[in-house]
Amino acid sequence: MVRRFGLVAAAAAALVLAIVSAASARPTAHAAATATCTKGVSIGMQAPITGPAGSIGSDQLHWALFYFTQWNKTHKLKIHLVQEDTQLDPSKASTTAQALASNKSVMGVIGPAGSDEVQAVAPIFKKAGLAFASGSATRVSLTSGAWKGYFFRDVPNDGVQGPTDANYMVEKLGVTSGSKVMVVDDQESYSTGLADIVGQSLSSKGVTVDRESVSQKATDFSSLIAKVDSSTKVVFLPFQVASEAQLFAQQLQAQGKTAVAFGSDGTFDSSKFTVNGSYISFFAPDVTTIPADASIVTAFHKQFPGATSPFGAPNYVLAQAYASAVTAACKDNKISRAEVRKDLAMVKLSNTILGGPLSFTANGDVAGAKFHIFKIENGKYVTIA
Amino acid sequence: MATDPTDPNAPRVGVDEWVASHEQRRVRRAGLLGVVERELERVPSPAFYLAFGVAAAVVPALTSNGYVIKVGLDTLLYMLLALGLNITVGYAGLLDLGYVAFYGFAAYGYAMLASPKFGLHWATIGVIPLVVLATAILGFLVALPSRRLVGDYLAIVTLFFGELFATVYQNGEHMSLLGLTKAKDVTGGPNGIPNIDQFHVLGARIGTLNYTAYYYVALIFFMVLLLAMYLVDRSRTGRAWKSLREDPLAAELMGMPVNRLKLVAFACGAGIAGLAGTIFAAANTAVFASEFDFTSGLLIIVYAMLILGGAGSLGGVILGALVVNVSLEVLRTPGHATWVFYVLIAATLIARLRPWRWFALVIAGTAGFGFAVHAIVSAAWPRGVHGQAPVGGILGSGLGHWVILPSNPMTIGNVAFVCLVLAVLALTLLSGWIQRLAMIPTLYLAAFVWENRLAVEPSITRLILVGVILIVLMNARPQGLLGTSRVEIV
Amino acid sequence: MNWNLFLTELVAGISHGSVYALIALGYSMVYGILKLLNFAHGDVYMVGSFIGFGIIGVFGGATNLSIPVWVLLFLMLLGAMLGGGLLGVMIERFAYRRLRNAPRIAPLITALGVSFFLENAAQLVLGAQYQSYNSFSWKSPIALDHFTLPAHTVISYAEVIIIVGTIVLVVALTLFVQRTQLGKAMRATSFDREAAAMMGIDVDNVIVATFFIGSALAGAAGIFNGIEYQQVWPYMGFTAGLYAFIAAVVGGIGNLPGAVLGGLTIGLAQAFSIGYISSTFSDAVVFAILIAVMIVRPSGLLGRAAVQKV
Repeated sequence: MVRRFGLVAAAAAALVLAIVSAASARPTAHAAATATCTKGVSIGMQAPITGPAGSIGSDQLHWALFYFTQWNKTHKLKIHLVQEDTQLDPSKASTTAQALASNKSVMGVIGPAGSDEVQAVAPIFKKAGLAFASGSATRVSLTSGAWKGYFFRDVPNDGVQGPTDANYMVEKLGVTSGSKVMVVDDQESYSTGLADIVGQSLSSKGVTVDRESVSQKATDFSSLIAKVDSSTKVVFLPFQVASEAQLFAQQLQAQGKTAVAFGSDGTFDSSKFTVNGSYISFFAPDVTTIPADASIVTAFHKQFPGATSPFGAPNYVLAQAYASAVTAACKDNKISRAEVRKDLAMVKLSNTILGGPLSFTANGDVAGAKFHIFKIENGKYVTIA
Repeated sequence: MATDPTDPNAPRVGVDEWVASHEQRRVRRAGLLGVVERELERVPSPAFYLAFGVAAAVVPALTSNGYVIKVGLDTLLYMLLALGLNITVGYAGLLDLGYVAFYGFAAYGYAMLASPKFGLHWATIGVIPLVVLATAILGFLVALPSRRLVGDYLAIVTLFFGELFATVYQNGEHMSLLGLTKAKDVTGGPNGIPNIDQFHVLGARIGTLNYTAYYYVALIFFMVLLLAMYLVDRSRTGRAWKSLREDPLAAELMGMPVNRLKLVAFACGAGIAGLAGTIFAAANTAVFASEFDFTSGLLIIVYAMLILGGAGSLGGVILGALVVNVSLEVLRTPGHATWVFYVLIAATLIARLRPWRWFALVIAGTAGFGFAVHAIVSAAWPRGVHGQAPVGGILGSGLGHWVILPSNPMTIGNVAFVCLVLAVLALTLLSGWIQRLAMIPTLYLAAFVWENRLAVEPSITRLILVGVILIVLMNARPQGLLGTSRVEIV
Repeated sequence: MNWNLFLTELVAGISHGSVYALIALGYSMVYGILKLLNFAHGDVYMVGSFIGFGIIGVFGGATNLSIPVWVLLFLMLLGAMLGGGLLGVMIERFAYRRLRNAPRIAPLITALGVSFFLENAAQLVLGAQYQSYNSFSWKSPIALDHFTLPAHTVISYAEVIIIVGTIVLVVALTLFVQRTQLGKAMRATSFDREAAAMMGIDVDNVIVATFFIGSALAGAAGIFNGIEYQQVWPYMGFTAGLYAFIAAVVGGIGNLPGAVLGGLTIGLAQAFSIGYISSTFSDAVVFAILIAVMIVRPSGLLGRAAVQKV
């Protein structure tokens, strides 16, 4: 009884403290209570930083943080990144979206990462007047016009990548009417969307499409690979994790299958996916081959040692776009969410680390989206289309 | 028998709950605190529930911050879930690991009947009872194997059912009956079901994103159900459930209809989850199957809330949900997390260091030690103190002069983190003045690791802290904050 | 009859099932003695995997190994088993010891807390990225080199190592439990803890030994998983732990041969449902099969109906 009272009192006191502090919900000491062009502004970021998709989200966070760290060293107008962890869960995404919307110093948001999450948070950000730009949500319907002026993305959507890959397979990889292609998705929305588009594209050309799927929890593909027969020419892998594509391709070779692996942009990682003879499609040239980018990549690895993923660099570019938009909005020394939205929609970066300029279309897609096809030869990525 | 009832390691063979609590009732606190405690004990529990209800109702009026209201809504939904789980786990003692599947089934059910998906837009007043009833029937069906399965085996079958549900709904965008019928899109697959209708009654419709309205709806439902559970708790069924939990064999021999009780417990728990599911679907305007599977952690969080609060206790449901969810949300912000970290350390020190002179000594020692180390390091290796303090303001600048902040803290921070964990574990093994002496460098190391590594990664630190809080709280009070001490009879 | 498909699925199922079986053994052992569901067990498996990855790095990395592969394997197993065992003992000492006499669900939440802590501490210190053992590129690439079975079925050296290794470990464990003094003490303690204490058995020591052995097996499972399936990342223990828990219960919890059988059952069910039914719904099929198994045999495959003492 004695301990019970004390403990309950302590817990109750802690709770009251927590509720009161949460209700006042002051932003962190770095950002001012309201964003100003002299004191500094905040940009929010939603990503799956922990949890099963942590390898993607933490990398996205690091690239955005890296950009703003470099920016703050050389500019008077300081930009602070407010991170929110969504764990790729749409309902957590909407709760954290509310947190960002209620934070008066947040002028724009990078993220969320998943197409489901974008759908969950879009009404919240639209109501709050916040621009939100994703570096990895590729479902085609997101830029159908419902959130024009609010939602942006700097990666091309599945509607561009799907037909490009299907056409390449038919034209260059000897996939003719009557031959077979296996399309494997990982049951997540990025994957199934792309897989469906490629599957339909191929079927319309008379190719037999074998649709399979693996759970993202699965660590072994040998059971599925056993089903690949000798008439299958290509196995298409729209995975989000490059090392899974690597494992799949390695096991294909180990089981002596002649089918070649073809990965989508999520598998583009020259440190992880290296099986010779495989193909990959990606929306930018290889960052590591562009000399101008070498110093940036080195500096990034100095601040964040360890591997990186292909979904990271687009967030660097988004951070750059926001920095440019905020600077433009601050020209009249006053900043507001509406101004940032307009300036972001009109942003024009002449050169980004993705190897080209960046600007957005009216609906929020990235302008001039084009996919490059790479082949892995001697462990290196060679651009072939 | 002169065993100390508060000693956790003393043998409790043959001591049952009534005897145990009887011994404890003899211990009384003296003075003013004792009087307060005695008076509080005389207040019946519904008064506390009512006080909670009033406090919760007032919160949206105090703040216009949409985030706080959304967190409040989430907490209320968790409380509803924990209330339902309390029936199955707390009252009837049946471990149900597929509980979240009922939540998801109801959310999807509401979504299918009130959204553009199948073109059905049925009236809320009809859909909610229908979905709740359907979920209760589902709970009944899932409980049917419980006649043959006991304990962990029942738990595993409910887990299977939960995973089955999640898998089927996640891949339901081309479902065909055993390959015989044409593949139809039933559940939307990974794309879920968006644009769900909001609640509307008699022409009054809740606007989209009007979380305040849903907050009140959830609160009203919760208070009604809480009152109902309080009455059930004191009724024959409640006592029957508790006897089932304590000793199923004895209950059966006493004439309790054990099978029927199990089925009804599952059905009631499922029904409450069903109610929560409809509110969830309408408030979030879209449902996705990935939110309801095991990897999303929802089941784990609900169990943590229930058991932390005390399984079988209604006040525990409220307290557990508040503590867990509010901690998780408060810890998202780096500034708040820093305050919580230091307050927790201070509270632990206050609780463990008696008499007060030891506490003062340790604090002074740590401060002095810190300044000394800082001075030495800044003299010998200047790069070691040039880093940025992650928290601004007074606290940050004060800490900047006390804690070493290397300019590139990642590797040394990681090593220090591992050393800190080992040091804290070693501290629990020591005792006496050696322990107090060892506290000083450990405290400094903790501040070092926090400032350099943990505060910089708030999303990861949040979960580390919650894990540590769970471990410490469950070790301190295994029966939960408001649970009753139970002893397994040998 | 496509023998190639059948045999490949069989091999895949057995090797995958062996990994589950090793983790399930640890679950079963701990449950048998303490009636505790150790949810942190999957994270011991994850730590064991990372230890193996670290050892590969110490000796030059996957493409540049400076020692023979069989020495490397031996060192990895040794390191992971010792490391895993030590971690398990530490978890027991600091998180579970005080909860020996508490109702069963309390240690469940503590285990959850330990699991949160380990997974996120691993992400903090080691990073969230997937790492790979890359045994396809070792000096002698054990995941690539293979034996050829009838019908052109391949079984890689790594899979053989997994299966043989599991058999060796299980036989060693059985001999230990059946023939040694400590093993006998373990069996006695799992039967009735209070009576064993009264017979002069040091129950604390027995529990520590149980955790050590169970966690060492999980560490070994981490190495076996890595050499064939390559991937190591902080959250890998979560799903593996779940499947191993299922395996332990399906086989009859507390029953060691049952845990092995349960693991193999799940591995085979997964492989065959992917191969023959549908890869999309393979999880659903596996769970449906397991529900049926549990209804037919309510105490698990090899479990004995527990006699309730009144």
